[in-house]
Amino acid sequence: MMKVFINDKSFHVLPGMTVKHALIRAGLLKEIEDSKKVYDEWGNEVGLEGALSEGIKIYVR
Amino acid sequence: MKRLSIVLLYALLFLFSLSFAYGEQAEIRILHVNDFHGFAEPYKPFGSNERVGGIAYLGAKVEELRRERPSLLLSAGDMIQGNNWANLFQGESVVELMNGMRFDAMVVGNHEFDFGPEVLKRRVLEANFPVLGANVEGLKILTPYIIKELRGVKIAIIGLVTEDVPISTHPRNISGIKFFSPMDTVEKYVKELKNKTHMIVVLSHIGHAVDRILAEKVKGIDVIVGGHSHTKVTKPVKVGDTIIVQAWEYGRALGLLDLTSRDGKIVRFEGYLEETKPKIGKEDQKVLAIIEKYEQKMDSVLNREVGEADGDLDGERSNVRKKETNFGNFVADILKDVSKADVAIINGGGIRASIKKGEIRVKEIYTALPFDNYIVAIKLTGRQIREALEHGVSGIEEEDGRFPQVSGLTFKYSPFEKRGSRVREVLVAGRPIDLGKEYIVATHDFLAVGGDGYKAFGEAIKTSRDFSVIGGMIKGEKVVYSDSGRWLRDVVVEYIKEKGRIAPKVEGRIKEIR
Repeated sequence: MMKVFINDKSFHVLPGMTVKHALIRAGLLKEIEDSKKVYDEWGNEVGLEGALSEGIKIYVR
Repeated sequence: MKRLSIVLLYALLFLFSLSFAYGEQAEIRILHVNDFHGFAEPYKPFGSNERVGGIAYLGAKVEELRRERPSLLLSAGDMIQGNNWANLFQGESVVELMNGMRFDAMVVGNHEFDFGPEVLKRRVLEANFPVLGANVEGLKILTPYIIKELRGVKIAIIGLVTEDVPISTHPRNISGIKFFSPMDTVEKYVKELKNKTHMIVVLSHIGHAVDRILAEKVKGIDVIVGGHSHTKVTKPVKVGDTIIVQAWEYGRALGLLDLTSRDGKIVRFEGYLEETKPKIGKEDQKVLAIIEKYEQKMDSVLNREVGEADGDLDGERSNVRKKETNFGNFVADILKDVSKADVAIINGGGIRASIKKGEIRVKEIYTALPFDNYIVAIKLTGRQIREALEHGVSGIEEEDGRFPQVSGLTFKYSPFEKRGSRVREVLVAGRPIDLGKEYIVATHDFLAVGGDGYKAFGEAIKTSRDFSVIGGMIKGEKVVYSDSGRWLRDVVVEYIKEKGRIAPKVEGRIKEIR
């Protein structure tokens, strides 16, 4: 399984799953509906269908 | 002697062509897109009311920028699958579009494999540009790299796709195809190409985080044009000696990277993303004509009859969120059959409309099942299944979308009991559920990650170790099926086409008791 970090908290998703899946897992998809965005650890915005990789860190803000 | 002369002549010609760029300054441009996924028309992103994108507008910008200096137009993969505009034609529409826009090359993305190898071969044959895949073996139609020349600068373009293709598409789509490490592959080709060319560009569908690792570990790559992670890299970044770019997703932006090369070395670079905003009158007319041509075809495909229903398929909101319906049974049965699971559980809220008795058209299925969900099957214990059902009936008072529609099992529940203690008599294949036994449960990706509050799937995933593809089937501790390349609605369309006539019934799978 793949471990990803959202706002520095770890979650598990299936390999091949996307940013959207990680946000659902974290219960944060609603925040995107409310105009928040997702960024990677280098500050780049990423799309909801963006691929994840093991240990990746993303932030909702 | 004659052969030696020919070899010498070629060597001299090659040296001459290389020296052409030496001592001279050449200004060239790379235009790039990635993860287009068939988003031909402008659209409103999730959480926004603004219309963005539109490939006809992006196409016009490409033409404008091409006029300024010698350019390459590259795609970093995931072009032909995603939106209905692409899916309904298995990507043919996208390839025609890319031909019209005169792409110079693309790399295969993981989603290029979603229609199977035969369709992919057809798409590659239709393309007027090379389709790259240096770390792919077993698909001879792909090219590992190409060499292009702009202003005397010889540019090698190597294509790399993620190694994870086997776990992100159905095994049948990659039968006989192997994927090797992007790192090892590119190392090999950099060695081979560094003395033959002035510049090495990796067209990568491995994601921005891995692009950075690649740049750190493999020396000799000048530029990585990335995709897969849908990353909005607003300005090119430099990692070691490698410039990395990526242009977001869905044609929302066109990437531009200007390079100044002197003596075969990049001495200056600058770039940005040109965001695509739909402005009437600013379309590329050739691209627009291709979009409109396929939109007309879409209407005819969506109106196509796929089968017949003997009775109304009940997808009414007030029913699918409160009780067993024949449409819920039908969809759940398909999930169970397709993934060869023991049982299936879906959320009633995933069904958005009924379909009237009689002819069933594609568009009716698309309206009833509008979400981009795909089928996943996970091993759950009997206890976890029961917990999932308890959760499913815990929001009945609010007609919450979590209400379960099921296949392969029956259960009773009392809405009069407190939430969490409502489920009774769960039977799997007619026998009482064994709380300690593992069953294969089909669902879709939304519920699998805990959507609508279904924690049981997420817990199973968390406790599972890795899985891999062995002998064409997914083998893992908990996950037994995952087909991210086919939306559930398309699976349902295919299923009805195959059956011709359907007559799902309410069978007493879910009984309300006092």
